[in-house]
Amino acid sequence: MAGGRRRGGLEQEVLACLGAARRPLTVAEVLAELGGDLAYTTVLTALSRLHGKGALTREPAGRGYAYALPADLGASVTARRMSRLLDSREDRAGVLARFVADLSPEDERMLADLLAEGRRADPEALP
Amino acid sequence: MIVAMTLPLAVSVLMGVSASRLGRRLPPATAVRLLTAAMLVTALATGFVLAVAGMLVLAQIPLVAALGHYSAHVLGSGLPVPVGAGGLAAVTVCGLLVAALRRAALGGRDLMLAAVACRRLGPAVGGLVVIDDDEPDAYTLPGIGGRVVVSTAMLRALPADERRVLLAHEAAHLSRRHHLWVQAAELAAAANPLLRPVARAVRAAVERDADEVAAAEVGDRELAARALARAGLARAAARRATTLEAALAGADTAVADRARALLAGPPPRRWVLAGMLAALMVATGVAVLVTGADTEARFEAAQSAYALLR
Repeated sequence: MAGGRRRGGLEQEVLACLGAARRPLTVAEVLAELGGDLAYTTVLTALSRLHGKGALTREPAGRGYAYALPADLGASVTARRMSRLLDSREDRAGVLARFVADLSPEDERMLADLLAEGRRADPEALP
Repeated sequence: MIVAMTLPLAVSVLMGVSASRLGRRLPPATAVRLLTAAMLVTALATGFVLAVAGMLVLAQIPLVAALGHYSAHVLGSGLPVPVGAGGLAAVTVCGLLVAALRRAALGGRDLMLAAVACRRLGPAVGGLVVIDDDEPDAYTLPGIGGRVVVSTAMLRALPADERRVLLAHEAAHLSRRHHLWVQAAELAAAANPLLRPVARAVRAAVERDADEVAAAEVGDRELAARALARAGLARAAARRATTLEAALAGADTAVADRARALLAGPPPRRWVLAGMLAALMVATGVAVLVTGADTEARFEAAQSAYALLR
């Protein structure tokens, strides 16, 4: 029961999916990874558009193509340097918003329990 | 007048003491805006009354009074501010002004650095930059055309539906301009250190707000909580492997609290609490106006007395 994607959300998801993969993926593989509510043509269109914008490389695979993120070491180096520079230390304004901060040991236990309980998680049972 | 002059200080203390509770009880989107606005009002009001108190005492120095063509005696008669307190206020307000300016420069510099970083990262489709890194990490670089930076290790740690939560969370930081609210809150806290806990509450509320937006987008609060849990644990495990002191580093925005809040169900509106906070800000504003009007009347009386005596 998805709440609907924001603009550009699918493109980001496709990029993230290829970023997680260790090899080029075909349209069918991306579709299988992203899951249920998407149509084959939707994924195909997103992949071709991203390739058209130069955000993806592709190679022939079977009757279609397999897509991958271009090797982009420059961005990695820049991002790493910047995150180190901007990371909240004593004299930093803290402009970076991290998805998850560091955990305390109790937090780790609680989160591990949450994952172990899986889909049947009962909020009342949590500490 | 003494009530009006001490009200901003009393409100600052009250907000500082109840900051974390306010931050947790108000719905996150409201908490971000209302707490930041309240901080700015309170910090300005506090600075104003301190400046007035200091000025009223300094203005009683005979030489200053003579230069200003008013009667120092009339100005000081029945003044609710003791000389020592007025002097202290003058020194304090100068110190706070310097602290606020320093913080503004710091925030401006880091926001500019972030904007430069965004430009250096080049054009990124959908604003997403995937970096090849073994440490699971994901963050937002704010700015016009800000970027979401995610490492391959983080992407590999999460299944596709949880990656969607992460992307929606980071996109919410950008679309809601959270960095501006946080910087405004930090500025207010620098100008009024009593408000420091409120700035922490705003930082926490910003993360909670992004969590709520992400949960709404995927339409599943438990899924959002699981994404947080998996990402947090992946990052903790990787940091433990690389550094020893990682576990001791400050956990500012407690991930477990955020996961718990998601599982607890949609946050209630809390109109009454928000209304009370808004009313407190109106009262603070009135206190500033009363202080200003009273001070002006005092100077006018002192000036006419000086004119009469001549």
